[in-house]
Amino acid sequence: MKTFPKPATIEPMSQRMTVAFPYKRSTGEIVGRFLAGLRDQKKIWGLRVSRQGVVVPPQSYSEVDAKAGGEWVEVSQTGVVTAVAEVTRPIEGLHPSTEPFAFVLVKLDGADTAIAHVVRTKLDRLRVGSRVRAAWAPDGERRGTIRDIEAFEIVD
Amino acid sequence: MSEPPKERVKYIDTNLNLPYHYYAGDYKALYLRALRDKKILGSRCSKTGKVFVPPVIASPESLAPCDELVELPHRGIVTTFCVVNVPVIGREIEIPYVVASVALDGADVSLYSLIQECAAADVRMGTRVEAVWKPDGERQGDHTDIRYFRPTGEPDAPFESFIHRL
Amino acid sequence: MTKLRNVAVVGFAQAPIVAADEHHTGPEMLYPVVQAALESAGLERSDVDYQCAGSSDYVDGRAFSFSQVLEVMGAWPPVQDSHVEMDAIWAAHLVWVKMQAGETEVAIVCGFGKTSEGSPAHVLNLQLEPFYAAAIGLDAASTAALQASAYMARSGADDRALAEIASKNRAAGAKNPDGQLREAATPEQLMATPWAVKPLREGYLAPIGETATCMVLAVEGRAEKICDRPAWIQGVDHRIELQALGARDLARSESTTLAARNAFEMAGLASASAADVVELGSTNPAEELILREALGLPASARAQGGPAINPSGSAQCANPLMNTGLLRLAEGFRQLSGRAGERGVPGAKRAVVHASAGHGLQQNIVWVLGTERRWS
Repeated sequence: MKTFPKPATIEPMSQRMTVAFPYKRSTGEIVGRFLAGLRDQKKIWGLRVSRQGVVVPPQSYSEVDAKAGGEWVEVSQTGVVTAVAEVTRPIEGLHPSTEPFAFVLVKLDGADTAIAHVVRTKLDRLRVGSRVRAAWAPDGERRGTIRDIEAFEIVD
Repeated sequence: MSEPPKERVKYIDTNLNLPYHYYAGDYKALYLRALRDKKILGSRCSKTGKVFVPPVIASPESLAPCDELVELPHRGIVTTFCVVNVPVIGREIEIPYVVASVALDGADVSLYSLIQECAAADVRMGTRVEAVWKPDGERQGDHTDIRYFRPTGEPDAPFESFIHRL
Repeated sequence: MTKLRNVAVVGFAQAPIVAADEHHTGPEMLYPVVQAALESAGLERSDVDYQCAGSSDYVDGRAFSFSQVLEVMGAWPPVQDSHVEMDAIWAAHLVWVKMQAGETEVAIVCGFGKTSEGSPAHVLNLQLEPFYAAAIGLDAASTAALQASAYMARSGADDRALAEIASKNRAAGAKNPDGQLREAATPEQLMATPWAVKPLREGYLAPIGETATCMVLAVEGRAEKICDRPAWIQGVDHRIELQALGARDLARSESTTLAARNAFEMAGLASASAADVVELGSTNPAEELILREALGLPASARAQGGPAINPSGSAQCANPLMNTGLLRLAEGFRQLSGRAGERGVPGAKRAVVHASAGHGLQQNIVWVLGTERRWS
C-alpha cells in the first residue's frame, strides 16, 4: 500500500447547514389556558400557587415546592420594569425585531413574579423602575403565544 | 369573567432553525478531495499497523496516532450486507438493492456502499467487488464519487479473511 | 461531619482556546489533550477505570454528540463511560460522587464543544423555558444583561464599577498563556467599547471561543503516586435556582451562597476570604460582583488584601462553552500544584472554585481544593 504524502498546508473544508427542528409543544392545562386568555380575552392571568404567590406567566405547578393547582387571578396590564437589556444589534432569526429594542422583566401589578418581554419604543427613557403597559397584537393576529402581547410600552 | 377560557391553546409550533458551519477536519478534507482524484485514502495506526478508512487521526482501539496516510486499492470484499426492499424518498434506485460493508484489500475496517450490476440474490458474504467511479470531470470530492461497487467475478474470499473487518 | 474519601485532581491538559479551529473536529481537538493529560499524570489509558464527558448536542450540531469522542477518550476494551449535557465541571462532580461510592479510583473528565460551528445565541436560547422565555428570543448575552441591570439597580454599582472589575480580569488574563483574550485593558478603554447588550459592553464579555479539556482525578492511595502535588477536594456542593427568570431574585445568587456554605462546612473552611485563591465562573463583571457578594468577598476591584480573585482572568477572558467551568477547577489545581506559572499565587494552600450553568447564574457549583487531605 502506497504512502500518501501529506500536503504541507491543508485548506479547511467546511459546510454551512441549517438544522431544523419543527417541534410542536404540548402546552398542558395551565399554560394553554393562559395563552388562550391572551388570544381570546386580551387578559393577563396569573395563578396563585403554593409558596410563590401569583405567578405570571403561570406554570402547571409551583416552582418552589412542585405542588400542582392554584387559583386564577387576573393581573393588571401595567407594571414596573425590574430588569432591562437593551439590544443594539438584533440577531437575525432569533430576536423579535430587526430594529434596536429591549428585553425587559416586568412585574405586573398584582403579580409576585415578573414576565419576560420586550419594549420597542422610547428606549432612551427605559430603565429599572419604569412603568410599562402591555400593548396587544391586533384582533385576528393573536395566535395564542406569549407574543400576542406585542410589546410593553412606557406609561407617561 | 373570573378565569381564562376553558378552551385552551393546545400546542405551540416551535420551528427551530439553527445555523451551523461544520468543519470536516484535515483528514476528512483530504479523504474527500482525494476521491475527486480517484483515490481512496486511509490512515495507518503507528502501534498496530491497522489501516482505517476513511482515515482517523488516532486508532479508536489502541489510541495511538495514525500519522501515516495510505492509498488503498479499489477492490475488496463484501463482509456483510442487507437487501433493501423499501423505497427511500430521494433515492432513485430500483428495489430490491444491496447496501454492503466493503472491506478494501489491506483495510482493517470497512466502508458502506451500494452493490450494483448484479441481482441482490447474488451478493454473498465474501463476494469480491470493485469500485465504480463517476467519470472524470464529474467527481466533486464527496461520497457519491464512488457510485457503487460491483462483483469482479473472482472466487469468494474465505470467511476467516474478513470476519474481523466487518 | 461524615468522613468522606479523599479525592484529588492530579492532572489536566487543554487545547489552546481559539475563535475557531478550522483544521480539527471536536474529537480531533480532544485526542491530543487526553494524551497530554495522561502523559502528565504518567498514566496509560488502561490505568483509568472510569470516564465522563461534558458536552452539548446543540452546541455540536449533532445528536448524541458524546458518542463521537469515545474513540479518542478510550472505548476499547469496553470501558465505563458516562456523560453530562452540562459543562464538564459537572462531569467532574459525577466522578467525585462515583469515587465516594467506591466504584472508581482513577478517572478522566473531558470537555469539548465546537462553539464556533454553531450560533451560541441560538443554541443557548434553547436552554430557556420554551413557552414564555425562549419564545421571545432571549439569548445568553441578553439574560446576562437583564441580570446586570437588576444588580446595578439594586446595588448602585455603575458602569465604571463593572469596567474596573473587567479591567482587573483583563490584566490577569494577559498573564495566562492558556487564555484567549490576552491583552490588558484599562477601565477607560473598556468603557469606550460599544454596548454588547446594554448595560454590558463588548469589552466586558469574552469572544466566542472553543477548546477541549481533560482532567485526571484519583483517590487517595493512587493520587500521591500519580502527582507530586495533588489538589485535594475538601468540599463541594451545587444548587440550582428557579427556571423562570422573573421568579428569581436576579440581583443576588442565593444558590451560590448555599452551595458555598455546604462546601465550606464540608471542607472546614470558615469563609471564601480564608482561602488563598478564589476562581469564579463569571462570564461578565456584573456576575463577578454578584458572586463576590454571595461569597462575602469585597464588592470592588480596588479592595486590598484577601484571596486572589480570578487569577486566570476568569471566564470573562475565555468562555469556551462546556469547558468554561472545568477550566476554573483546573485553575484551582494549577494554583495549588505549582503549575500556574507567572500568575501563580505564592504559597497558595486552599482554593475556592465556582462555576455556573444556565442563564443568569441559574445553577452554581462551589468546590474547595486544598494542598492537604481533608479526611484522615
